[in-house]
Amino acid sequence: MHRWISIAAYVSALTITVASAHAFDASVYPDLKGQWTRATAQDSFDPTKPPGRGQQAPLTPEYQAIFEANLREREAGVPPTWPGRTCLPPGMPATMTAYQPMEIIVLPRITYVRIDYIRETRRRIFTDGRAWPKEVEPGFDGYSIGKWIDEDGDGKFDVLEAETRSFSGPRAFDLSGIPLHEDNETVIKERIYLDKADKNLLHNEMTVTDNALTRPWTVKKSYRRSAQARPEWPEYLCIEHTETMRIGNETYRLNKEGYLMPAKKGQKPPSVQYFPVAER
Amino acid sequence: MPYRALIATGALAAALTLPLAAAQAFDESKYPDWSGAWRRIAVPGVTGQPGYDQTKRLGRAQQAPLTAAATAIMEASIADQAKGGQGNYPTYTCLSPGMPRIMTPYGMMEMLITPDTTHVLLEHVHDSRRIYTDGRDWPTNVAPTLQGYSIGKWLDTDGDGRYDTLEVETRNMRGPRAFDASGMPLHSDNKTIVKERIHLDPSNPNVMLNEITTIDSSLTRPWTVTKRYGRDPKEELVWTEENCAEGNGHVEIRGQGYFLSAEGDLMPSRKGQEPPDLRYFSDAPK
Repeated sequence: MHRWISIAAYVSALTITVASAHAFDASVYPDLKGQWTRATAQDSFDPTKPPGRGQQAPLTPEYQAIFEANLREREAGVPPTWPGRTCLPPGMPATMTAYQPMEIIVLPRITYVRIDYIRETRRRIFTDGRAWPKEVEPGFDGYSIGKWIDEDGDGKFDVLEAETRSFSGPRAFDLSGIPLHEDNETVIKERIYLDKADKNLLHNEMTVTDNALTRPWTVKKSYRRSAQARPEWPEYLCIEHTETMRIGNETYRLNKEGYLMPAKKGQKPPSVQYFPVAER
Repeated sequence: MPYRALIATGALAAALTLPLAAAQAFDESKYPDWSGAWRRIAVPGVTGQPGYDQTKRLGRAQQAPLTAAATAIMEASIADQAKGGQGNYPTYTCLSPGMPRIMTPYGMMEMLITPDTTHVLLEHVHDSRRIYTDGRDWPTNVAPTLQGYSIGKWLDTDGDGRYDTLEVETRNMRGPRAFDASGMPLHSDNKTIVKERIHLDPSNPNVMLNEITTIDSSLTRPWTVTKRYGRDPKEELVWTEENCAEGNGHVEIRGQGYFLSAEGDLMPSRKGQEPPDLRYFSDAPK
């Protein structure tokens, strides 16, 4: 049962002007400051299950076949990559696997989630009571609307419920290649809250509804707060980390000297038809 | 020189020692309203890719106080670009432009003010920043980044009891970086120091000014420019997401830039360019 911090207070919160919104009482929100990292080494979508087929993703037959083809590519030697062109971001919901450290910034009208992994993610979770807008630019992180909830009635918010829509793609649940549907009609619901017994542990119950799935898929992710008061925020530029290059419809490897190499046995080289020198 | 008065030294010192819980009692009214989306203000008559000094065209027209060695790098870069190459323009592979160029800015910019940190969110390649305002000193063991490490200080320059100016110093950068797309270089020693004074225009709160001074071994003297950003007047902002890899038709193989065709095939980026060395493929064209 969710109890709102008095309906009157909520309604007035929705109608405050920009000027008065400056009187922001941060003490009614949970302390989510600091640096959060994934609580388990496991970086699959469901951190409680083994990667790949072990995830038991409830995929439709069509998308199970796509997943099996992705697994065969990996088994043939193609390094795990996100779908599409090299250095495209994972997008939601994989963003919240937190492949790099995460920062959550709670402000009166928006809660921001910053994660620097491939894309410099800055999710905006709008908590100002807005409805779904008519005009939204689809994105890998989608458009998120959230609601703060005081579950235990102590006058302080403790749960952020968020719903995210309006995606672009291609996206996958994790690096094993479990696909989301290409229609990008994904809807993701999250419940984000601190552990009651351990305020340095954050939970995120995510439910993904997607046309690649036969039913909504719910997982629980957890994050651990760094003990450092002033943690270092690493810079993750995909182009400096990637060992692959996508040319045409094929993924190739790049070796340490930067040479293009086959990623799997018998792979043909990329076409050089546009190079006049090669044609001679 | 504007008068700068720090809001009571004692209060500042106390603020720096606040415990985590108390720090949440954040009085936003003490800070300027920088909310919304900010964009570079285009200067009439200045066309083409934005220059570092936005009042002038990029490249030679910037009249940057470059050393002779840096001028030679820029000229070589411009000459290479005239032939279809990328010159000294590392950003084309989706490497962040780094400081100070990210503050041009190229896309939408948002400033989030919190007690300890001002976040500068820039929608471009990979450009966002954290400016620490919690009174910390320069760290001794932090990996250099393209954006560098920024420490800021809020000032109440008109003594009205509200902060109005954020003074920032940024160090600890890595490279390669250039001031603009012409390839005007910052020095490869990466000893750049960037100082900023960010404040609203006193005559127009929807215009933000950023006076940026760059000290760099590629320059004969500190170079100061003033950047002007305008606040998006829309009530319902549409935030766009920019993913460099999505629209980038360039790839780099062993230091050579190539184009990708619409179908994703490799293409030369300049006349007479040979294809990449495909020695690891058994049936590569000889």
